[in-house]
Amino acid sequence: MKNKILMGLAAIAMVAVLASCGKKPQVEIDATNAAIAAAQTAEANVYLPAEFAALQDSMNAINNAITVVDGKLFKNYKDVVAKLATTKTLAEQVVANAAVKKDEIKKEAETLLTGIKTVVAENAKLLPKLPRGKEGAAVIEAIKADLGTVDATVAEAQGLFDKGAYMDALNKIKAANEKAGSINTEIKDVLKKARIRF
Amino acid sequence: MHRVWKHILVITPIAIFIAAVGFLIFYPVPEPPVGEMEFARTSISLAAKDNAGTYSESLFYEARNYYDSAMVYWQKENGNNIYKRNYEKVRIFAGLAAKKANEASDDSENNTSSMNARLSQEIKALKETDASLTRRFSKYPLSSEIRNNISRGELLITEAELDWEKGQYMKAERKIKEAEQLLVPSYVYADANMRSYFRSYPQWKSWADTTIAESRLNQDYSIIVDKYSRKVIVYLNGEVQFSYSVELGKNWVGDKRLRGDKATPEGMYKITRMFKSDSTKYYKALLLDYPNDEDTAMFVAAIERGSLPRSAKIGGMIEIHGNGGKGSDWTAGCIALKDREMDSLFKIVKIGTPVTIIGSMYDLKHVLKR
Repeated sequence: MKNKILMGLAAIAMVAVLASCGKKPQVEIDATNAAIAAAQTAEANVYLPAEFAALQDSMNAINNAITVVDGKLFKNYKDVVAKLATTKTLAEQVVANAAVKKDEIKKEAETLLTGIKTVVAENAKLLPKLPRGKEGAAVIEAIKADLGTVDATVAEAQGLFDKGAYMDALNKIKAANEKAGSINTEIKDVLKKARIRF
Repeated sequence: MHRVWKHILVITPIAIFIAAVGFLIFYPVPEPPVGEMEFARTSISLAAKDNAGTYSESLFYEARNYYDSAMVYWQKENGNNIYKRNYEKVRIFAGLAAKKANEASDDSENNTSSMNARLSQEIKALKETDASLTRRFSKYPLSSEIRNNISRGELLITEAELDWEKGQYMKAERKIKEAEQLLVPSYVYADANMRSYFRSYPQWKSWADTTIAESRLNQDYSIIVDKYSRKVIVYLNGEVQFSYSVELGKNWVGDKRLRGDKATPEGMYKITRMFKSDSTKYYKALLLDYPNDEDTAMFVAAIERGSLPRSAKIGGMIEIHGNGGKGSDWTAGCIALKDREMDSLFKIVKIGTPVTIIGSMYDLKHVLKR
């Protein structure tokens, strides 16, 4: 008799445990959200937009799964916890990948910036050597304006670079580089035609 | 009897409990909208991949809002008794979220595709404008502000093209607009300026023809200064003998209006004095009779019209002189030649030799073609 009573109580306890044992994995949720926030801080949305979007999508899917479990009588967050762990690992990987990509862009911008400064300096050195014949003044004025624009753009790009906005800086540097290169070619062509040594 | 009751007392709660569990298990529970929510989430994710957040912003955010509402209602229903839950609103919002996300996806694809084509055209058109500017006005005196605008505009086209190539259409569009605001007004200004200047061409031609005819008639030297070509052309018996490059006043486009405007006047003049090296700081100089009667009449009329201030003074001391070859328009309105060319000119001219200063020997069509 006593055993039967005990069995009954055990059954009730088991049901109670099953119904309430699945506690929301708040610690894991917070950790995963923090990892995603870290990815955003690492500018993964700028340097690896597709990977970052996939990360956000994973978290949305997990939130869905959590709500599904939340609504169940017998809650079991085991799958959710596994998914959270995977997404957290993924987020940490994205942080690392974003840092690598950012560094690549930084180096590319840095190299171009150094190169363009050399071209700008050479252009400034060659400018006074240009022949000043008929209509030369207007051409020189145009070249001077171009050089001024390139200087301003390089300064702007340097500002963006110093702020760590390497992606924005890179586009500006590429455009300025193209312009500085074409001015350089233009000046050298004129000097060659005029048989002026440079 | 006592044992029977004992059994009843034990079995009844267990039976009730089993019945309750059975009820809980087998009683129909409202199905949560897992499929609908998953579909909505996937649709939003696809829309995000299609850049709907950028290229179909309002539809995309509508979808996101509907999805968030669906989640809120779902969580709210989860708080209710399991048998009393109603997921109807969740389903409606999830359905709307998916619908809007799909619309946003399509809209974004259409927008990016049309933007791609439109921006490509706009970049092409701006490049053509820039090429025209270079072709027509690279040697025409434009203010440093206009030159800087052209240069900045050109750089922005390159930046816009780089953004366009990367599929960053919004950035490209902003830069195209900025470039357009710099290049188009520069072109309009330069074109209007040049066209306006060349409206005087019939007058210039008439002066030039008269001067050449005079040279032929008098069998003597006459000089024409072509400001646009930067040439001083020397005629004898109506035929070109030689020509030299010249440098002018900084504001050579247009007629001289007042003292200090650094413009080279236009009109028919004569040499009134000849200065040797010891009488001028510009190597050698030939003084012209500027202002002549016509110049004076125009200056007075401009004062009376109010287009010049009453305090303005008419210019003078316009010369053809040496010290040229600096490579820029540096004079205060005079015409500067290289010293050795000044020597040649000085030998053949005399007081009274006609000097006609005109904008151009050629009409605008010819100049543009050149």
